Amino acid sequence: MTRFARTDRSMAAKTFAGSLAVLAVLAAGCGEGGSESTSEGGDAGDASIRIAVVPKGTTHEYWRSVQAGAIAATRDLNDAGVAVEMVFRGPDREDDREQQIALLENLQSGGFDAIVLAPLDQQALAAPVRRIREAGTPVVVIDSGLEGEPGTDYESFIATDNYAAGRLAGEHVAKSLDGVGRVLLLRYLEGSESTTQREEGFVAAIAEAGGFELIDPRRFAGATRATAQEASENLLSSVAPRGEEDAFDAVFCPNESSTYGMLRAISDRGLAGKVLFVGFDASPDLVAALREGTIDALVVQDPVRMGRLGVETAMKALQGEAVEARIDTGAVLVESASIDEPRHRDLLSPDLDAMLGAGGS
Amino acid sequence: MNAASDASETGSSGSWWRVAAPLAGLAVVVLVFLAIPPHLGVTADQARTVAVHAVIVGIAALGATIVIAGAGLDLSVGSVIALAGVVAAMLLRDGHGLWAAIPAAIGVGLLCGAYNGLLIAGLRLPAFIATLGTLGFFRGVAKWISGSRAISAPSHGLETLATPRPPYAWMIVAPGVWILLGLAAATAFLLHRTVFGRHLLAVGGNEAAAKRCGIAVGRVRLFSYLVAGTFAGIAGLLQFARLQSGDPTVAIGLELDVIAAVVIGGASLSGGSASVLGTLAGAVMIAYLRNRCAVLGWPNHVQEMIVGHIVILAVAVDLWRRRRHA
Repeated sequence: MTRFARTDRSMAAKTFAGSLAVLAVLAAGCGEGGSESTSEGGDAGDASIRIAVVPKGTTHEYWRSVQAGAIAATRDLNDAGVAVEMVFRGPDREDDREQQIALLENLQSGGFDAIVLAPLDQQALAAPVRRIREAGTPVVVIDSGLEGEPGTDYESFIATDNYAAGRLAGEHVAKSLDGVGRVLLLRYLEGSESTTQREEGFVAAIAEAGGFELIDPRRFAGATRATAQEASENLLSSVAPRGEEDAFDAVFCPNESSTYGMLRAISDRGLAGKVLFVGFDASPDLVAALREGTIDALVVQDPVRMGRLGVETAMKALQGEAVEARIDTGAVLVESASIDEPRHRDLLSPDLDAMLGAGGS
Repeated sequence: MNAASDASETGSSGSWWRVAAPLAGLAVVVLVFLAIPPHLGVTADQARTVAVHAVIVGIAALGATIVIAGAGLDLSVGSVIALAGVVAAMLLRDGHGLWAAIPAAIGVGLLCGAYNGLLIAGLRLPAFIATLGTLGFFRGVAKWISGSRAISAPSHGLETLATPRPPYAWMIVAPGVWILLGLAAATAFLLHRTVFGRHLLAVGGNEAAAKRCGIAVGRVRLFSYLVAGTFAGIAGLLQFARLQSGDPTVAIGLELDVIAAVVIGGASLSGGSASVLGTLAGAVMIAYLRNRCAVLGWPNHVQEMIVGHIVILAVAVDLWRRRRHA
């Protein structure tokens, strides 16, 4: 008996030590993504206001633009004599709801005065945002919708009118194909509000045009370029099982990573330039493909403006000024031919390195 | 001190079944999907797509087969793939060319494997804990050196290495698939025709007995992680070739697909057994299921539910067989 008891105890001790080790490793491994802090003008310590900007993820080029806008706004505020420190920090993957929620809670407990958030799920982030606001921290939502009413449940909603942006893509397809053809849609991610709106806008515009057959098996690209590429290849192998070139006439993808994945799949199949390809958002790779004509058109938003307005609106809310409940930052469809127009150039390839500063690696 | 009765797994009576079972399982899955209306066959194009989708998981799973044969485990493989891809992309971006990028990516895999091996064989840490730690560490390094962003590389000539369409028709399938098959042959040779392989299976089957027989357990184990790391580096290079950009967040959670492929292939996580053919069948099966779900227009969640149960079923069948033989 005593021997058993001793064995038991030592086993329990071992298990306990084991769990501690696991916890330590987990804690060490649970970084919350890329983070960069900008505090222009003076020490961040004493009386400065701290604003956290939380994107959906950090790997997409798009979020660098948001960051550039937020940095520009912070710089301007500091130049105007308001001491502001801005921290840009997001989860690694755009489908990691838990990481974004944990990050928000950590930021709030870290004493940030206001939070600018691009929620990666319209429902999952609603409760955490409610809790943060109940504790007295204003929240400005950017880019992607959040359940609730802008102006009452959160200070403001600053984003592209995504439904209209999706319609823009659909109308372009309808116009270019003269109203007939087979149109393919690869969706982005379950539960992502902004892209769902784009998909719905696109579907509506295609339906209104009449003569199109929409192929929409509700397949999702997933959160990264790699998942999008695999999903695209599988989708193409189902619509064109023998590699037929005439299986569809046009394809639309609702964000950067899905467009990139489809670009790879289409190029590999030798369909580049043979089907009408409309993508969404800009990154150096997509802009290069647009220039080559592999991509026919990109719907681009103004993420720099979104980041800038996010910080400015958060600041206004902190100072007790009235803020607009809904701000549309606009979207433009850029075709290969119009790529070099100055107003398009700033949207397609803003000089982020200059805006992010030399240190913004 | 565990898995004492599992040592005699390598030879004799059960071995033909060990080879046949995963292939039979694959055949069953293919037939089941064929039985589902509208009875869609697999076109050559779709077969090529499935083969390519099995490449990255497959190569990583070959490495995992070696590690698992020695009763080890490598959870860090997805992070190594991301790190190797990011390094290759950065070198190409900075104009160093393929002859720097290719060895660097594979070398990164080798280094990561060496680190895992030293932690496990040298410091005698449990493999689960050590590679759980390096899973975070390698991923962190990948994000650090890339600034947490996808690194675009200029056109480099690797583009068609792992795309469904091979660059030349005579290749039949993408070069990446041939690389997978070549590495599979090498792995089978290593496991079943070399002293290292025999020692590794002995260590995996019964470490204490292997030690008594004078096998340098630590060295054998370290070498298994070196091989696995190198394979992960190659997989990372191919992932980069496919994406044409080095994405530090690529392959998160891939270790689960990799372990699933090995387990579907009939290996036991307690070590001492390995089936290269089985691992290949496992990797192909996962890719095939995904392709079929897309072709049949089923939503993504159905695919996840099915893949989950294939793993459960494979292990259940394997355990049932072992008990009958025991």
